[in-house]
Amino acid sequence: MRLKTALGNTFKTLMMVMPMLLSVIGLMGLFETLVTPEMIHSVFKGSILSDTLIGTGVGAISVGQPFLSYAIGGELLDDGVSLYAVTAFILSFVTLGLIQLPLEWSLFGTRFTVLRNMLSFIFALLISIATVFILGLIQ
Amino acid sequence: MSKEVQRKKPKSKSGLILLFVVGCLYLLTFYFNAKAGKEALLIAFETVKMIAPILLVVFFLMALLNTFIDSKSISRHIGKQSGVRGWMIALVGGILSHGPGYIWYPMLADLRDQGAGDGLVVAFFYTRSIKLPWLPLMISYFGLAFTVVLTLLVILSAWIQGLIVNRINT
Repeated sequence: MRLKTALGNTFKTLMMVMPMLLSVIGLMGLFETLVTPEMIHSVFKGSILSDTLIGTGVGAISVGQPFLSYAIGGELLDDGVSLYAVTAFILSFVTLGLIQLPLEWSLFGTRFTVLRNMLSFIFALLISIATVFILGLIQ
Repeated sequence: MSKEVQRKKPKSKSGLILLFVVGCLYLLTFYFNAKAGKEALLIAFETVKMIAPILLVVFFLMALLNTFIDSKSISRHIGKQSGVRGWMIALVGGILSHGPGYIWYPMLADLRDQGAGDGLVVAFFYTRSIKLPWLPLMISYFGLAFTVVLTLLVILSAWIQGLIVNRINT
């Protein structure tokens, strides 16, 4: 009986979340089609600092399977973009999600969403610096 | 009517509004570039097909959690005072959870409403960036050393971010 009630409540939650979930999926489809890997390549300028910031920002607005970020990141490295920027890009690709923000906000509230995304942004930068620094020490 | 229901009711409308906006964006895309519109719609359908089984698992998990585990147990295991066990559940849970992050949002929000600590939820979110099935591919692109260092730093950062959130909340 308790399971039946819980299933009913969970179904109601699913129905409540569904419009937002479908919107996010729809936006992903549009972004994946309209924002091409070539466009992502074109925004990197060659400066380590600005490229790392750009990498974090571009990762945050990009959508798709994680392997896509590895493939783009690998090509960016081949094109001479710094490892700082590529690390920030592949990290923010999976930790930040501009498209998912409305869903996150509706379920977790403004304060939690802002705090979590700010921390993810800052830590994408910090981790990219730390990763390159540690790799420099051990290699 | 509980506070939670009162809080969520107006926000459920925002989903419908956003869905309407996205629908309009698709109409515009179809109008200006039908091929791109079709492609975007196909990607969206493929995503729905991909997440549907995981979404089912998540919602059954939610139902089971609501049936067999009460708020007190949730607070004890993953609440603010849950200690090392809570951190381990959040960090390992994030690494092992499968599929896109947004599928897990409803369950995490539910757990949070029942007493799960914000710091642990943030830590779970962050370790989700470690994608176990994709690690071999990451190694092939960036090397073993890069992958190991990045993975360890992500776990450490997830814990630090959780601590920061807990500190801010107190």
